[in-house]
Amino acid sequence: MKSDTAVPVKDMPKTDPRMKLIAAKLKKENFKADALIEILHTAQNAYGYLPKEVLSYITRALHLPPSRVYSTVTFYHFFSLKSKGEHTCLVCTGTACYVKGAQAILNEIERGMGLKAGQVSADNKLGVQVARCIGACGLAPAVVLDDEVQAKVTPGEIIQKINAKIGTL
Amino acid sequence: MNCYMNTISIIIDDQKLETDPGKTILEVCRENGIDILTMCHLKGVLDIGACRLCLVEIEGVNKLLSACTTKVAANMIVRTNTDRIKKYQRITTELFFAERNHVCAVCVANGKCELQDLGYKVGLDHIRYPHLFPQCEVDTSHPWYVMDHNRCIMCTRCVRVCNEVEGAHNWDVMNRGHQVRIISDFNSPWGESETCTSCGKCLHACPTGAIWPKAIVQGQLQKNPGMINELVEKRKMKL
Ligand code: SF4
Ligand code: FES
Ligand code: FES
Repeated sequence: MKSDTAVPVKDMPKTDPRMKLIAAKLKKENFKADALIEILHTAQNAYGYLPKEVLSYITRALHLPPSRVYSTVTFYHFFSLKSKGEHTCLVCTGTACYVKGAQAILNEIERGMGLKAGQVSADNKLGVQVARCIGACGLAPAVVLDDEVQAKVTPGEIIQKINAKIGTL
Repeated sequence: MNCYMNTISIIIDDQKLETDPGKTILEVCRENGIDILTMCHLKGVLDIGACRLCLVEIEGVNKLLSACTTKVAANMIVRTNTDRIKKYQRITTELFFAERNHVCAVCVANGKCELQDLGYKVGLDHIRYPHLFPQCEVDTSHPWYVMDHNRCIMCTRCVRVCNEVEGAHNWDVMNRGHQVRIISDFNSPWGESETCTSCGKCLHACPTGAIWPKAIVQGQLQKNPGMINELVEKRKMKL
């Protein structure tokens, strides 16, 4: 382990405010290894995903084995290694939503946006994801648009809302 | 009551045994020549109860429990070879073979493989589950060793040996479910690892042909999983 290459927090690029956020969080958590998940949360929220450089920075700052960090990141669905897009549209395909027409919504999004579930548009504006039950079955069919649950949506409505978000309206 | 000799008695397969508390059922069985099938257990590293091969029946307990992670208790009645257990051993073994690509005839570990031995032991003649045939990577980037994910059964013996005995923690596990893979550092090629010391303990720990040295010809693979515990014991002695 090249621990001597560990970059002290003060040497990290000060220009990027997102890095500053992470550095502050690291300090607040006292560089304790068991705060890994909290720190990854901060990084995920700041960047929308976990870029490689950010991961290695956190790894070195906490003196953790890289594979341990990677293991944690790939275990939790909350974390992602690739950009999910500036705006995200998550279609629930759990049982309740499926019964209430989640597939039609997904089809319409795939057709209207030219994106399949799991893909991000070329301009990085929109990412489409699916999840198996988001715990809002009473609102089925549910779609989460940028962290906001859209209840009982129709395919037409969701396309309109997406367009409003990404500014193509 | 004898307050000096702190032993307990348990019954395993109708055999009455005296043993120290604090031992696992597996340890007691092995000490007394009672055969228990294991795969993820490796003497010298922590037991994690991952493979579910060592399941035993305990009277008064509904579920089957893993012998490697269950401690003996006074007056415990354990059964290791009932039909129920044999059925599960068989299922577990079949699932091992169905999950990745275990083609013994072309494997470096042919004849020296714990998974192959297990297949013979449970009398595996066919597999009832559909094979997943995943496309797994073969990482040949390390100068001396090869990691063939096609043969890996995710016992994590390599991970534990690397972490607990060598202290390098090159290996870990990524993803979940059938997507799980053993990874080196940030899921990078083994040869580019910043943590691997090239000590080779993982290849001795590995029960299958997943990790092997480049300098062998087919059929001459030498693995010595017992050396891990010898090493652990010698380190304790600090001679
Ligand atoms: S590489 Fe070998 S030791 Fe490591 S998890 Fe796979 S089968 Fe087990
Ligand atoms: S099935 Fe969609 S929220 Fe439960
Ligand atoms: S040896 Fe006990 S669960 Fe694998």
